[in-house]
Amino acid sequence: MTADGAIVLDRVSVRFAAGVVAVSEVSLRIRAGEFVSIVGPSGCGKTTLLNFAAGLLPRDVGSGTFTVGGRPPVEGNRDIAYMLARDALAPWRTALENAELGAEIRGVPLAERRRRTIDLLDKVGLKGFEHAYPKQLSHGMRQRVALARTFALESPILLMDEPFGALDAQTKLQLEDVLLSLWQRDGRTVLFITHDLSEAVTMSDRVIVMSARPGRIVAEVSINLPRPRSVRALQKDPAFHELYAHVWSKLEEGLGA
Amino acid sequence: MNDGILPRGPLIWAGRLAILAFIFAAWEIVSREKLIDPILIGAPSGVAQFLWEGIFVNGSLIDDLGWTMLGTLLAFVLGSAAGILFGMLFVISPTLEALFNPILTAMNAMPRIALAPLFLIWFGLGLGSKVAVGFSLTFFIVLSSTVAGGRGVNPDHITLARALGASGLQVFRKFVLPSAVPVIFNGLRLGLIYALLGVVGGEIIASEHGLGQALQLLAASFKTNGVFGIIILLALVSVCIMTAMNWLENRLLRWR
Ligand SMILES: Nc1ncnc2c1ncn2[C@@H]1O[C@H](COP(=O)(O)OP(=O)(O)O)[C@@H](O)[C@H]1O
Ligand SMILES: [Mg+2]
Repeated sequence: MTADGAIVLDRVSVRFAAGVVAVSEVSLRIRAGEFVSIVGPSGCGKTTLLNFAAGLLPRDVGSGTFTVGGRPPVEGNRDIAYMLARDALAPWRTALENAELGAEIRGVPLAERRRRTIDLLDKVGLKGFEHAYPKQLSHGMRQRVALARTFALESPILLMDEPFGALDAQTKLQLEDVLLSLWQRDGRTVLFITHDLSEAVTMSDRVIVMSARPGRIVAEVSINLPRPRSVRALQKDPAFHELYAHVWSKLEEGLGA
Repeated sequence: MNDGILPRGPLIWAGRLAILAFIFAAWEIVSREKLIDPILIGAPSGVAQFLWEGIFVNGSLIDDLGWTMLGTLLAFVLGSAAGILFGMLFVISPTLEALFNPILTAMNAMPRIALAPLFLIWFGLGLGSKVAVGFSLTFFIVLSSTVAGGRGVNPDHITLARALGASGLQVFRKFVLPSAVPVIFNGLRLGLIYALLGVVGGEIIASEHGLGQALQLLAASFKTNGVFGIIILLALVSVCIMTAMNWLENRLLRWR
């Protein structure tokens, strides 16, 4: 991990060809190693922000200053690992082959990526399923593979777009724990999109609340709950519920505006 | 294939055999009692005798079968190789497809068997003209399934590949090609059946060898038992081909 993992946005706007303003004047500074969540109503430009960071937006739809790991967004940036909402597993590859797909494309030698991937599949709780095909895996297990694929990249910056959005509550709590422990282990920067406020508060150092389209930042809430956190224990913690209510009220303000 | 939901086991097989036996028995009786003129329907005993002699006594059917299968194999291999090649080129270059698409669509809309006389002029009475008819059918089937397969890549895979910085070649090899394989395989299965169709059709029109040519001769002299014998033989060959393709597909595409 060479580059510093900071993400800086200064008055970033995104206006698509059809005149749709997806993001409006967003300024945000994410420190290396910070875990930041963005919450906001659907269609407020959250995915667009991640796509911008990953260099996937068409040229000249974005304006303002955007730097990721110290340089402007560029497609295929090796400092970035991007995890999509859907697992995007290749059905013709086994769990192991899927988990190493990212590292494979980025040219990590076979022995090295195997070592990383086997270790990560163990960490995400898939030991023994290395040679299963995606169709044999449950929804949650598939998302675990996608998580392993993301972490196997060893990029200092993780962009995660509602990765647990489609999971049932139990599985979601389990995977949040897995993600937190992986993050705790090597302290990468995480920019995490979710529509689940409880998830945002549980995981983050900071929660950014966005308004309905055109997406603006309406609030930033620091989550100073101690770490390491236990996802399950937090659900009963009064401090957690206080923060949750606070974020919720900010979100409502953003919706009303 | 919805075989999975059908009940299986010895009872079903016994039932199937019973139905078959009943049909053949009824056929034999209707023919013997002349309820229908035997010239029209032949008789199972006569068909069996024809097949026995053609296969085990003088071997003429084996000879014809050999020619037909050789033609089918050549038409299939050449037609699908060309179909996959052009299909992939079209997937890679939409400009190329835009250029060729109208011509190919027009050619594909043409009833291919109408080309057979032309192929006879070009390639003669022998194997060449039969292969050409089979090729002209297989090629388009495999071409269109390859294009469809190549276009059917999951958009999430493309997003993932771009974020990873995959090269064009990597996207093709790691996402486009493998996701196209099952669709291409459906085209190959159909293409093989159509290669057989084209070759037999070509043989019926004019040929020196082959089951189609034998069929044509037998029909012209009202040897109905022989006609049914060859039809049954062709049906068996098709079933064997389908079974082999299914077996291959299950081996190659175990991930499905
Ligand atoms: N490539 C695009 N072209 C035009 N409009 C787009 C494009 N991508 C997203 N949008 C629009 O931008 C808005 C924000 O989309 P998105 O970032 O996906 O929202 P979110 O992820 O917050 O639900 C939506 O109205 C969407 O329709
Ligand atoms: Mg989104």
